[in-house]
Amino acid sequence: MTITRRQALSGGAAALATLTAGLPGVARAADGRVVVGTWGGDYGNLLRQNIDEPIVQPKGIEVLQDVANADPRKTKLLAERQTRRGTFDVACLSDTDMYLIQQQNALQTLDMGKLSRAEQIIPALKKPYAIPHIYSALVLLYNPDKVTTKPTAFADMWDPKYKGRVGFSDILYNTNTLAAALAGGGSVHDYKPAEKMLMELRKLDAKVYPSNEALAAALKSEEVWLTPMWLARGFMWKQGGIPVRHVVPKEGAYSIVFEAAIPKNARNTENAYTYLDAMLDAKAQTGFARQMGYLPTVKDAKLDPDLAQEISLTEEEESRLVTPDYEYLQKNLNGILDFWNKQFKA
Amino acid sequence: MAALILPAGLLVVLLMVAPMLFLARISLNHFSPTELMVEAMSAENYLRAVQDPYYRAVLLTTLAVALGCTLLCLVLGFPTAYWLARMQSRWKSLATILILFPLLVGNVVRSAGWIALLGNDGAINAALQGLHLISAPLPLLYNAFAVVVGIVAVVLPYMILTLSAVIEGIPRQTEEAAANLGARPLTAFRRVVLPLALPGVAAGSVLVFILCMNAYATPVLLGGPQFKMMAPAVYDQFVRGNNWPFGAALAFILLAATMVLTVVGSALIGRRYRR
Repeated sequence: MTITRRQALSGGAAALATLTAGLPGVARAADGRVVVGTWGGDYGNLLRQNIDEPIVQPKGIEVLQDVANADPRKTKLLAERQTRRGTFDVACLSDTDMYLIQQQNALQTLDMGKLSRAEQIIPALKKPYAIPHIYSALVLLYNPDKVTTKPTAFADMWDPKYKGRVGFSDILYNTNTLAAALAGGGSVHDYKPAEKMLMELRKLDAKVYPSNEALAAALKSEEVWLTPMWLARGFMWKQGGIPVRHVVPKEGAYSIVFEAAIPKNARNTENAYTYLDAMLDAKAQTGFARQMGYLPTVKDAKLDPDLAQEISLTEEEESRLVTPDYEYLQKNLNGILDFWNKQFKA
Repeated sequence: MAALILPAGLLVVLLMVAPMLFLARISLNHFSPTELMVEAMSAENYLRAVQDPYYRAVLLTTLAVALGCTLLCLVLGFPTAYWLARMQSRWKSLATILILFPLLVGNVVRSAGWIALLGNDGAINAALQGLHLISAPLPLLYNAFAVVVGIVAVVLPYMILTLSAVIEGIPRQTEEAAANLGARPLTAFRRVVLPLALPGVAAGSVLVFILCMNAYATPVLLGGPQFKMMAPAVYDQFVRGNNWPFGAALAFILLAATMVLTVVGSALIGRRYRR
């Protein structure tokens, strides 16, 4: 068979059409869809089960998840901030990251009037540029079989008894450094004491693992007995049979909020509002709590008592909650990363 | 005739030269934690990278790993390449496919395999402990050893195929003539085959060296948090630190080091070849 020029051309056009079909905006008008920049794994699946399928899709909106870790998503938001049409309609990030992006003028100020659920948001978690989706606190995880006296503080990681048994996840360098700062008398406004503390811990043979999963494996094989970690993740690990308990350290419980916002260059702003509203749905939020151990951010989401006991903070613990100093972090995050990489890990 | 290179040339200019120029411009900018990137024309990022002992050590590690892997590939690849080149049977194409086999699996998937093999509760340690040969697991993962093993497994096929293509071009009769004149096989190899195969050695080494210098997934996944090579360091600056200017400067330093060594290396081999 010979291929004529005409056939080749029409074939090429068909191939091009197929290729561009998946690219929003190149050849297709953007309507009836919402592109959500989110983590994959459990988070992405739970969004699909609790929000995309039961709430947003029945409204005739097609949900596209753009799955990646936070760092590539931040980079994409920053790189695209000058462009007219961005990738995401909704971007999910932690509160610290979201602040950084907001400082770069990349996010819309939300019109709370467009969110039917805005009234229900826990007041302390309200922001003008993002909605809170779920939250948790930084706690100390320990292996109850090996660490027989229940620890009370991050400072307990420096006990020579636990030499070689303290482990860190490399990607959490920022909160690991904070835990060290708190143990050394610092605060969310002053990470400096962490430097001396971390170098001491280095002498005590602390281990660093490349990911949370690698750290989980080390906790499971009882290579590591102590680590600072999000309470929610500790809950998931416990569910998965990893021998850990948690203690809310007396130095303070640092909070993390996972937020969602609408970039300035979003193409489907109206659909994005619908999506944010769905994220605040009480039932959807309890779904996240049940599976991932994160706490709801709306007042009317009620947890089952047994679950609440596992993942909630007592009133006394709640009084120790500390929120990040975003401005301090933004100014110093690079220095913190440098110290972590060059001095502590070297 | 020159028009023939136009389509490919345009593509290269568009997809490679232009972004590189853009990146070169970024590398001269100033980083500020609050504004991220401030327009500037300064060499501060380059100076910082060169003066900081940490990044000097990262560059040295990268060079050592790349040179080590290249040498290892040469030593391991040459006999295989020779065997493949001189193979007459109908199994030759099957052998070629088998050599290419490691390239059919992505870097990340392959690394996952190495982790399952080399980890503290991985197959090797489990077997050794099961046989009571060791009491504590051997540290096989998250160090230079794991990275070298991982990289060599990826780049070895490139070396073998490049070498074997050149060896195939060396007439068998030259070796027979050497034997006829009383040379032992080793002498014939040293004085006849190896000198004639030098262009292949040069091409294979350059290819492998460049791949090793720019390795990303393998050092990240098998090297662990304490082991740093240049490509992951560049990524860290761009994505974790949001420091694009410094990341761009590191990228150009990596590029320059790779280019200089590649040119010097091929020139050295080329000079021997002409002699």
